[in-house]
Amino acid sequence: MLRVGCKKFLGLGHQKNQSQAQILVRLYHERVVDHYNNPRNVGSFDKTDPNVGTGLVGAPACGDVMKLQIKVDEESGKIVDACFKTFGCGSAIASSSVATEWVKGKQMEEVLSIKNTQIAKHLSLPPVKLHCSMLAEDAIKAAIKDYEAKRAKLGENADAVPAEKAVNA
Amino acid sequence: MAPPSSSKLFSLRRLLVELKSSNSSCSYPCRVYRNYSPIALLSSSPLLQQSSRAPEFSENAFASPAPSFYRGFCSQPLNLDNGAQGPAAIDYSSLLPEEEFHSLADATINDLQEKFESGRREEILERGKGSNDFERIEGGVEYGDFIEMDGFDIDYGNQVLTLKLGNLGTYVLNKQTPNRQIWLSSPVSGPSRFDWDISSQTWVYRRTKANLLQLFERELEQLCGKPISLS
Repeated sequence: MLRVGCKKFLGLGHQKNQSQAQILVRLYHERVVDHYNNPRNVGSFDKTDPNVGTGLVGAPACGDVMKLQIKVDEESGKIVDACFKTFGCGSAIASSSVATEWVKGKQMEEVLSIKNTQIAKHLSLPPVKLHCSMLAEDAIKAAIKDYEAKRAKLGENADAVPAEKAVNA
Repeated sequence: MAPPSSSKLFSLRRLLVELKSSNSSCSYPCRVYRNYSPIALLSSSPLLQQSSRAPEFSENAFASPAPSFYRGFCSQPLNLDNGAQGPAAIDYSSLLPEEEFHSLADATINDLQEKFESGRREEILERGKGSNDFERIEGGVEYGDFIEMDGFDIDYGNQVLTLKLGNLGTYVLNKQTPNRQIWLSSPVSGPSRFDWDISSQTWVYRRTKANLLQLFERELEQLCGKPISLS
C-alpha cells in the first residue's frame, strides 16, 4: 500500500495505458509542476464565518478530494480571497490551485462561468486527467452554492425575528 | 485485555509515520490512504492517543468511519442539498452491488473494444453500398481501417480502454468502482461520468442525460466522418 501510495505520489502509478513496448514519455506540463512545487493559496478559512463559502468535492475512494473556500465581500459580491486544500494527484492539486487564482477578485456570477476545459487547457492536462479539472470546476460551484445557502439561512433568521416581534406586540 | 496483533500494530505505526510526514505541509499530500479505513482504525484505536497531530483534514468529516464516504460527491454534480458542509453518507442499499457493476461495466467496455477492433461486416458493407472497395471485404475490419486513419490505436490494459484517433485526440474509458461509474475522457466533450440507469438499461451521464453509446456514435461520426453503430 505504501508503494502504491508513493508511486501515485510521484505520478508514476497513473500511466496505466502505456504498453511496455512504447516508451511514451508523458511528463507533467511545467505549469502543473509549478503549481505543485509552488502552490498558491493553500490554507483554510473559518468555516463558520458568514462570508466564507466552502466547497468540498470528491472522495478518497476515487482518489481526489478538493476543499475550496472563498471569502466574499457582502456588499459587492466580489470574491476577495480564496484558498484550497487538495488531496490527490499533481493534476488535481494544480487544477484547484489554478481555480483559487482565477476566482480571486471576480464577481460570484462571473466565477460560475469558469469551465473545466479552460483549466485543462491552461495546464495542458492529458486525457486521463481531465476529470481533475472537472472536479475543480465543481469545487468552485460548490463553494458558491454553500455561500449562497449560508446567506439564505441568515436572511431567514433575520426575517423570522421581526415576525416574532410583530406577533408578540 | 488482549494486545492488538503485531501486524495491526505494524501497519498502524507505518500510518502514523506517514501521517506525521504528510502533516508538515498540506501542499504535498500523499495519496497514502486508499480507502480511509486505516484512519477509522486510527481514530477509534486507543493507540491513537500518541498521534498528537493528525492532519487538519481529520478534523472535518474525513475522520468519520469508512462507510460514510462521499459517493455522492463524485457522481452528483452540485448535490449540496444532502450535507452541504460535509460529505454524504453512502447508502449501500441503493448502490449497485459491486459484482453486478463489474459485470455490467466489463461487458460494456469489452463490447466497445470489440466493435472498435472488428467492425461488423454487414454494417460496413451496408454503408459502403455501391462502393467497390467495401464489397471486396472478406473478414472483419478495424474501424480504423474503415475510416482510413493513421495513428488509430486501441489499447486495453489494466481495465482502461484507450482509443487513439491520431491527431483527432484520445478517448480514455475506465471503471470507477467506488462510485459504480464508468468514466470517459473525450477529446470532444471532455470528461463525463456515466451511471447505470436501470430503467433504460444503459449508461447515462446525469448532467447532460447523455447515453454512453450514443455519445460515442455521435462523436466518432463527427470526428472521423464515418458512422459507427455501437448500440
